[in-house]
Formats: sequence, C-alpha cells, structure tokens
Amino acid sequence: MKTSPRIQREVIESCKAGDPRAFAEMVLQSQKKVFNIAYRMLGNSEEAKDVAQEVFVSVFNSIKDLREEIKFDSWLTQITLNHCRNRWKYLKRRHYFNSDSLDDPAETEDGDVPRAIYDPSDNPETLYEKKMIQELVQRGLQKLKEDQRELLVLRDLQGFSYEEMGELLGLPEGTIKSKLHRARMDLKQVLEKFAH
Amino acid sequence: MDCEKVRDRFSPLWEKELSPFDEKIIKEHLSSCPECQKEFKQFEKTMQWLHSVGDVEVPDGFLPGLYKKMEERKEIISAEKSGKRWLSLPLPLKLPVQAAAMVAVIFLVLYLTKMMPMRGYHPKEIGQPSSPLSLEKKPEEVSAPTGVKRERGNLKIAARTARPKDVEQAETAAPRKEEAPSSSREVTKYQAFDLKEAGRGKAPSSEEPEKIEKGPYAQEKLALASKPTQEIVLKISDREKAISEIYKLARQFGGEIIATEGDKCLASLPSGSFPQFEKELARLSSSTEADRTIMRKPATGSARSRQEVKKEVVEGKAKEPATLATHEESRIIVRILLVQD
Repeated sequence: MKTSPRIQREVIESCKAGDPRAFAEMVLQSQKKVFNIAYRMLGNSEEAKDVAQEVFVSVFNSIKDLREEIKFDSWLTQITLNHCRNRWKYLKRRHYFNSDSLDDPAETEDGDVPRAIYDPSDNPETLYEKKMIQELVQRGLQKLKEDQRELLVLRDLQGFSYEEMGELLGLPEGTIKSKLHRARMDLKQVLEKFAH
Repeated sequence: MDCEKVRDRFSPLWEKELSPFDEKIIKEHLSSCPECQKEFKQFEKTMQWLHSVGDVEVPDGFLPGLYKKMEERKEIISAEKSGKRWLSLPLPLKLPVQAAAMVAVIFLVLYLTKMMPMRGYHPKEIGQPSSPLSLEKKPEEVSAPTGVKRERGNLKIAARTARPKDVEQAETAAPRKEEAPSSSREVTKYQAFDLKEAGRGKAPSSEEPEKIEKGPYAQEKLALASKPTQEIVLKISDREKAISEIYKLARQFGGEIIATEGDKCLASLPSGSFPQFEKELARLSSSTEADRTIMRKPATGSARSRQEVKKEVVEGKAKEPATLATHEESRIIVRILLVQD
C-alpha cells in the first residue's frame, strides 16, 4: 500500500484497551488511506469525509473484537469498503449520480473544472495539468461498475497486492486478475468516449 | 495468436507478469497488427493516467469532526438505554406501530362491550326486584352482575323443574325468538332477569328437563310465564293449616305452590281455574268477605316494567306479541299473603 504506514501493534493494543491517545494516533496514521479510498469510490469530498469518519466510529466501537492485530490494515480496509458500498447504494437510491453528465464539470478538491479531452496520442504532461488528468480518471471511475471501481482503486490507486485483494474481496487471485483487466479495459473505453 | 487473446493479456504484459515466451509471442503480434498496437498504446496511456493519480489530502477538521460524531453516537446510545429509544425512532417506523396499537385498542373495546352488554345499562333500564314475594324492595337495590348470576342459576333450576306444559311453551317460543333481531332478543333476556325469583320458586316436578335445556330463550319464556299477576290477602287463624289447605287447593285446580316464605305464598295456576281457586281460597279465610283483598292489577313495579319492555318487543317485532300473550295468559301466578286473624 502506498498511502499509510503500517499501524504499530502497540497502538492497536492500546486502542483495544480504550486509550483515547492511541485511538487519535491510529486515526492520524490511517485517515489518509481511508479518506482516499472513500473519495475514489464515491467521487465526492464531503461524502468521503463523512464516510471516513463513520469508518473510524465503527473502528472505535469494534476494535476490542479484533483478534489479530497484524490484520488491522486489511480489517480497516474492509470496514472502509463496506461503508463505501452502503453509501454508494444510499446515494444511488436518491439519484445522486443521475445528474452526472459527461458535459458537467467534474468536481475537484478546489472546485469545478472543465472536462478534459482524452487523447492518448498526445503527451499528458505537456497538454494537461496533472490535476485535470486525475479528475478525468475520477470521472471515468464513476462510470464503471462498483466492483470494477473497487478493483482499480485497490490495485492501481492504493497499490494493494493481489494476495491482499483476494483476502479482502474473498476471491481467488486469478479471478481478481481477470476482473481487474476487464475493469481496466472498460475504463479505457470510458476515457475514449470522453474524447468523442 | 488472435487479436482477442492478445488484448486479454495487456494487463499481465503491462505488469510484466508474462513468461518470456508469452511476452515474445504477444510483442510479435503487436508489431504485426496495427489495430492491437493502437489498442495497447491506449491501454498503456490509461494505466499511466491511473497511476498518475495521487492521494488527496484529508480535509481540515477531520479529527474534531470525528470526535463530535462519536459524542453524538454516545448520546443516542445513552438515550436508547434510558428508554428514549421510541422517541428517537424515525416516523416511518413509528407510524405503523401506533396505527396497529390504535386498531388493537378499538378491537379490545368493541370486544369488551359486545361480550358484556348487560353490565352497561340493564339494571337502570329495567327494574329488578330481588324477590317477587317482597314487593317493597326497590329494583335498584340489586346489582346487575350478581342478579345476572343468580338469574342464570335460577333458570337452571326452573329448567329442571318445569312442568311439561311450560316446557312445551318454552320450546315453541324459543325458535321464534331466535328469528328476532338481536336487540329485541336482548330486551327479552332482560325480562327474564326480572323474573328470576319466580323461576327459582318452581316446584320440583319436571318430567322433561332436557327439553328446556334447548336454549336460554326457552328458559326465559318459562320464567316469563310464571310471573306474579294476582295478589290475595288471606286472613287466617292457623297458619300451618291454611298453608296445607292452599297446597291442596292449588293441586286441585291444576296448579302448584312454587314458593312459601313466612306469611307469603306464591302459587302458579292455570288462568281458567283461577276464579274457582279464588272462591275456594275465600272459604279458608277466617274473616268476612269484605276483608279479602284481591289485587287484580299487576302486583309490582317490576311487573309494570316488564310490560313496558314487552311493549317494546311488540313494537320491535310483529311476530313476538302473540307468542308472549299466549304464554302470559296460560298461567297465573298468585301471591297469597297470610294475615293472622
């Protein structure tokens, strides 16, 4: 994983014992990873922040039941994914994503930006700002199925290994690889459509 | 290798997970197939873009916001523990529960009022003397539930002890009454409650008790038929002798003594033989003819009430009056007051 350092075992044990300082330390160490997964999954900063906070509330309430401290990271990611899935369903029921058109400006951390044109023949470094590419990718991710987005976020954005992904998603590595390839090809197609 | 299989291996090719042999085959295909080459270039670009996406910074105030949220949760949990859970429930959940509770209460009230109608108004609407022998007693003195219980007990006694004729009358009356609407049936039932003491006084001479068990309406009719209608004051010198003479006379005229209590005597007689019985009874009197008092009017207030109620029944249903009148006229209940000379 590229975002957060592994949480020390002592911190986890102190959290389990109910130490508020250890909990705060754990949150500070893990919040970036949790928030980024949520943000890439939901595509909205406010929703991602709320979901990430909900994740830590759940962690606080159930960390005493965690048996293997060494699996804290995958346990935390599992909780994050579950919260993201629930929130995605909730927002979908309320047609939150229906108004999202390819012509709409994409939301960024700094506000709305105009839609970037996907042209793989050009050099992105020279034609587009890096931020604009990120937003284009984010918009592309939103167009994919939820499970495809999960795979791309975990593998290509968060750098999870296939083994970790297999454990998290309860799938064999071969299945994960083939699904991930399908997700990448679909994203490629979505980004190509953005250009037309 | 065809194009489809090559494109399926773009991911392992890009991640360098293919065996050298496979990698060589795919690269050879890519160099010879411009379509697949273009596809792979676009795939590579997508992967570059994906991997160029960096982490975004966590918004400010994340941790304080988290603590605030945890405090709110604590309050909700403590509210739930202190029994305020109901208040915190969402309205869509509360409304159906409240509606169901209201329906349950309505059904309960309807059930109770349907099951116990007589408790509500019977004692006030219809006078209920505790005994036809003691005319002075006010109907209001008898509470409805005990009166009803006693009445039911009395009706059972009456059923066991009724004469065949009474039983037949009751039987013929019962099916007709069952046709009546429930309101008039209830009124008739209350008439029967009025006459409970008369029913209790029936002589134990029943031949067909099982017939009378056919229904409560038959029992009610029987009690109705034996209500006191006449009163005779008899001056006597020897009480025991007078009572035995009254017994004899009653049997002689096809009637019977259904109850004796102190100086009071209740006799049931066929209406046709009543004048003869009255004459014979006058001979027993130790006083002159003028001292004998015969009250031909209904003896009690409750009897008047019964008639009023009966009138209601008559108004309520055209079939009923003939039946009731027949039963009323077939027998006369005579209350004989023995006065020591």
